[in-house]
Amino acid sequence: MSTMTPTTPAALDSSPARKRARRSAKGATTFAWGLILPAFALVLAVTVLPVARAFELSLHATEFLNAGEFVGLDNYISFFSDPSGLAGIGRTIAFTVGSLALTMPIGVGLALLLNRRFRGRTLVRTLLILPWVVSQLLAGLMWRWSVSPDIGPFGFILSAINGERTDVLANPTTAMLTLIVVNVWRTYPYAMVLALAALQSIPEEIRESARVEGASAFQELRLITLPLIRSTLLIATIVLTINAVNMVDLPLVMTGGGPVNGTDLLGLRVYREAFTLDRIGFASAIAVVMFIINVLISIVYVRVLRGDREPKRS
Amino acid sequence: MRKKSRLTGMSVVRGAIIALALLFAIAPIYWTINTSLKGATEVISYPPTWFPTQPTIENWLGVLFGSTFPREVLNSVLLGLGTIVIVLALGVHAGYAAARHEFRGKQSVLLILLMSTMIPGVVTIIPQYFLAVQLGLFDTYTVLLLVFSAWQLPMVVWIMKGFFEGLPRELEEAARVDGCSRLRAFYTVILPLSWPGLAASAIIVFVWVWNEFIIGLTLTQSPYVKPLTVGIYGFVGETGIDWGRITAGTAIALIPVAIFFMIFQRKFVEGLTSGSTKG
Repeated sequence: MSTMTPTTPAALDSSPARKRARRSAKGATTFAWGLILPAFALVLAVTVLPVARAFELSLHATEFLNAGEFVGLDNYISFFSDPSGLAGIGRTIAFTVGSLALTMPIGVGLALLLNRRFRGRTLVRTLLILPWVVSQLLAGLMWRWSVSPDIGPFGFILSAINGERTDVLANPTTAMLTLIVVNVWRTYPYAMVLALAALQSIPEEIRESARVEGASAFQELRLITLPLIRSTLLIATIVLTINAVNMVDLPLVMTGGGPVNGTDLLGLRVYREAFTLDRIGFASAIAVVMFIINVLISIVYVRVLRGDREPKRS
Repeated sequence: MRKKSRLTGMSVVRGAIIALALLFAIAPIYWTINTSLKGATEVISYPPTWFPTQPTIENWLGVLFGSTFPREVLNSVLLGLGTIVIVLALGVHAGYAAARHEFRGKQSVLLILLMSTMIPGVVTIIPQYFLAVQLGLFDTYTVLLLVFSAWQLPMVVWIMKGFFEGLPRELEEAARVDGCSRLRAFYTVILPLSWPGLAASAIIVFVWVWNEFIIGLTLTQSPYVKPLTVGIYGFVGETGIDWGRITAGTAIALIPVAIFFMIFQRKFVEGLTSGSTKG
């Protein structure tokens, strides 16, 4: 006989029901843990614990697959004391800042254009989002032949303008600029889609009243539109910053880090040290440095989101 | 009258900007398809031809029948489907627990899941490689399925959690009163209503796996396991780049995703913006 069958209707509201509720709460906890545990365990084992393992590896002189002896912070010291280490950080910052400085204005600008009705808008929007679904690998490859002075249209046009065969990937500065352009190509749709969604959530009356008050188009943009989509733009900025800071595929596919290490971003360096040069311990140290950079960005992310949400509530 | 002419002036500028943006967006894609349809001599002719003067599908045939590429496409399809199965099986249950139950440690679990998406793949790839070799899983479907699933799970848990939260609680309560067990109520009442969430998750996961490159490059070797992205990358190097073949391979890899995107554009856009506007 269980408490599940109350004898009188009144019993539903009294102690057996509460007991049942308590028992069922306990059962519910076990039940919920049973549901969530497999997913949690897999994520923990495959992506979270390896971070700790990377830290451990970074403290050892590990080469190839032989766990080496404990060397403390030696790997970190050799990374930061070598000019190439700091240069790699500098290049990563340049790549990130350059990408964001172009992607955000382009994305927001196109979103503003797409926010008004015109014929063919749906098709235009679809085509403009397309680069986002192209993988970084394919984006890198497609641009590699597009800028090639031998078989590509941009390489051909540039060579014609310059009067000599011009390979943008053969010069450290232009190679970096090209990587930035390719990254912008792949990421501006993200900024555009997010901005467009935010724009469409602005009530038409607000813009209407601004116009009635005599605001110019530029004033409307600066004083009404941009402040209202600010938090969305911040999210896009941070997501794309993380994306750029951890970039591996584009330089790997387009330049291999060259010429003369001009495009050797931190992520690519980790990959090359680990899997081309087999310096696992050293590569892990750089990976841990990158992880810390990511944690810092994430903290800023959370701060920004909180700070941005609170004024809205009040 | 003056106002009208100014308007058209502005719309000409707008039109020009949009045309330029379209050119930028489409040019590399167009050039890939263009190059893949050129014959061996036309590919390297200078100046490059803006469209194939003698279109040929020899590159496509070479890639489809004269290389390991079809096998690698099959690998990517199987890996995509396998990852979908694992991720949905685990993610649906976890999302349901997160949406409907309060239990001790829930907030920590959810926070860890969320934070795990902020871990850069390049940080974990070295330990994952180590582990794969030590466990004898290097160059197997198993290791790729595990790593792919772990990266995609948090996102799917979030999508499903949001979806379940949108369903009224009365649904399960009614089933429970009818004598269903908790799990049975979930399977028979809630899950059948969840297919939009499941479909959105499956699409996003499949495209992600189809596009993934670095993990495949690191953890696989043989054509019987490696995904098509790694196969395409294999056309680079060796003896320089075989432009005709690699452009054909790239086009083949691109077309399914592009078509997928055209059909399911709304789901993609929802996936992109979810979280950003709720933020």
